[in-house]
Amino acid sequence: MKRRFPAGPDVSSVDELLASISGEPTGGRLKVGDERIVDFLVKFARKLLAPQMARRYPELASLGFFLRRGEIGKVLKHLETPAGVLRFGRGLVFHIPPANVDTIFVYSWALSALAGNSNVVRISPRSAGAAEAVVEALNDALRDAHPAVAQTQVMVTYDRDDKVTAALSAACDLRVIWGGDRAVNEVRKLPLAPHSRDVTFPDRASFALISVDGWTKATPEKKREVAVGFYNDSYWFDQAACSSPRALFWVGDEVAGQQARTEFRAELSAVLEAKHHVVEPAMAVQKRVSAYGVAADGHAKSISFDGNAVATLELTEAADVPREWLGAGTFPFATLPTLSALVPMVQRKDQTLSVFGFSQEELEALAHDLAGRGIDRIVPFGNALTFSDHWDGFDLPAEFTRLVTVQA
Amino acid sequence: MSVFGRSQAERETALLAELTELTEHHRANSEQYDRILSSLGIRSGEGFGSLNDLPWLPVRMFKTHELKSIPDSEVFKVLTSSGTTGGGASRIYLDKEAAGVQTKQLGATLQEVLGGKRLPMLMVDTISIIKNRRSFSARGAGVLGMATFGRGHVYALDENDQPDVEAVKEFLAKHGGEPFLIFGFTFMVWQYLYEVAREHKLDLSNGILIHSGGWKKLIDIAVDNSEFRKRFAEDTGLTQIYNYYGMIEQIGTVFLEGRSGNSLYCPDFADVIIRNPDTWEEQPVGEPGVIEVVSTLPRSYPGHVLLTEDLGVVHGIDDGDWPGKRFSVLGRLPRAEARGCSDTFSGAVAS
Repeated sequence: MKRRFPAGPDVSSVDELLASISGEPTGGRLKVGDERIVDFLVKFARKLLAPQMARRYPELASLGFFLRRGEIGKVLKHLETPAGVLRFGRGLVFHIPPANVDTIFVYSWALSALAGNSNVVRISPRSAGAAEAVVEALNDALRDAHPAVAQTQVMVTYDRDDKVTAALSAACDLRVIWGGDRAVNEVRKLPLAPHSRDVTFPDRASFALISVDGWTKATPEKKREVAVGFYNDSYWFDQAACSSPRALFWVGDEVAGQQARTEFRAELSAVLEAKHHVVEPAMAVQKRVSAYGVAADGHAKSISFDGNAVATLELTEAADVPREWLGAGTFPFATLPTLSALVPMVQRKDQTLSVFGFSQEELEALAHDLAGRGIDRIVPFGNALTFSDHWDGFDLPAEFTRLVTVQA
Repeated sequence: MSVFGRSQAERETALLAELTELTEHHRANSEQYDRILSSLGIRSGEGFGSLNDLPWLPVRMFKTHELKSIPDSEVFKVLTSSGTTGGGASRIYLDKEAAGVQTKQLGATLQEVLGGKRLPMLMVDTISIIKNRRSFSARGAGVLGMATFGRGHVYALDENDQPDVEAVKEFLAKHGGEPFLIFGFTFMVWQYLYEVAREHKLDLSNGILIHSGGWKKLIDIAVDNSEFRKRFAEDTGLTQIYNYYGMIEQIGTVFLEGRSGNSLYCPDFADVIIRNPDTWEEQPVGEPGVIEVVSTLPRSYPGHVLLTEDLGVVHGIDDGDWPGKRFSVLGRLPRAEARGCSDTFSGAVAS
């Protein structure tokens, strides 16, 4: 096993790995919101927000913002408990993040560390780019960190090895599995200790909703802002993140909706041009394969290509919306007469709605109508990928801790 | 009659009419194909100004969808190819007529270089590739398909995939003094025939080699087409070498290398169009792009106009060994990969 953090010689066995973080840390066991951890995270965040780093990896800047002292304070405030209830970390948390979203492991690890846990994070051998930069920044920040950080937190890379994953699973108090249905099902075959449990992040699908009225009334500046937000939500992770919108629904009048689509497509193309967005030929072909496939299956009335960057499909029926990945920048469109028309289509696996042009009341009414069917978050355009301590319906800091009640 | 006779202008006129008719035929007989064209705003009965206006299907559609223009009851043969890069296998549906046509036209194409008689044939493969039906592969299908063009087949590899030098020597002793046919996949021909022939000083000068399968493995050891031809000629006397380019999704159509080497030519019933991957317009001569292949053979499935995932370049038109376009295949498009939360974990717990 390659030791990534704290940087050091390779680890020869799981026992050795576990032994390295199971002693009593300098200054005592970690507490919820432990200052030794907070201090380290803040130093790490500063490195991510350094201009040179943020230019190279914009997604790391978002992570940096998430880990500023003020933001950490807000997370910790949620963890306050009433008198007679005390909160502690669960113990040892084992994280299995996805291979191809470079930064998500940092969010779940950071929240778990803040919650007072020791952590083992398995970083995929396929990780690259931003993930490498993260590991480097973590090791940099460790230089002036409290020794307890290195005594409780470890990140390793190992090739597919069920024995290692099984041993870490058996040893942990909580296992966090990212990477979709298959990864969850595979890892779940490996038993946990009886008291331990999983937090899982299976396959999800997300959508965007625009109010036709809202669009029509918006100023040209606002329209551009909406298109930029949609661009960020969709193109940052090649439209393949669980919260990237897979389709765009226009809520309102059909005729006005068609006019709005035309304007929106032009705005989006302008944004892509301004960002000098490059589409690899293989991705362009992938989009054709997917879009033609949706048409072949009878779910698309028309397909339009605005260059290779934007493919739009007019769905035969809104309910036929494809949930699978169609390629970066492939957007099925449909009109919904009202927000509530969305309700019967929603499935449990649906995660994020990114929205424009609706009021808080309308959206809360929608959430009530959905009544737990699906959808974990409703966010404005541009925020679909913004990670939060409430994710996939979990209150993560709460998941990462346990409560002790005390009554004299 | 030669199938390498049409000039580019003649070819385009003839193919445009036939392929337009085929487009209508497939629309009428494949609902899925018709839906695709309709969604692109192409109306039934619409004419096309030129070959490059014909709507193409990405070749991978045959991996994701069952596309056929014949009723289930007419299906005579289903060809499957597993792609090397995942995403399932292509399924190509042939009725009796289509199966006959593809064999006939492949024969007519190869006859150009093999002559009319069936020649003694050396297969640079193992007999187990066709014996073992359970693991029947694209390679096996290729070997079996080609076997009909020769006689007295001898396999250059034994059943354990080891070079059978004695068998090759025996074949050459018997047939080496007259024209004979050699067939195999490019890298195997290099690895198991060239290397062995050089080592044992075998004389292949009466051979006619037909080979295909791509250069990737050979490029890794710095052997390109020119080097391949040169070393075979110098070390074994083999000079009649014909590479070809073809795919199961256009079965029966092969683009054959000319006598002087390094250019592939289109038989009269087919053509290639090199497209710019940004604009999808046709590239001028000399500009590389994505290869589109058109052929009038696919009638039982809508594979008459296909965008491949190969890169190529046209070197010239009506200026080579045969009339029409001459081109080269430059390699494959890399596979589109997305960064997503959901991994394709490939069955690995921690891949």
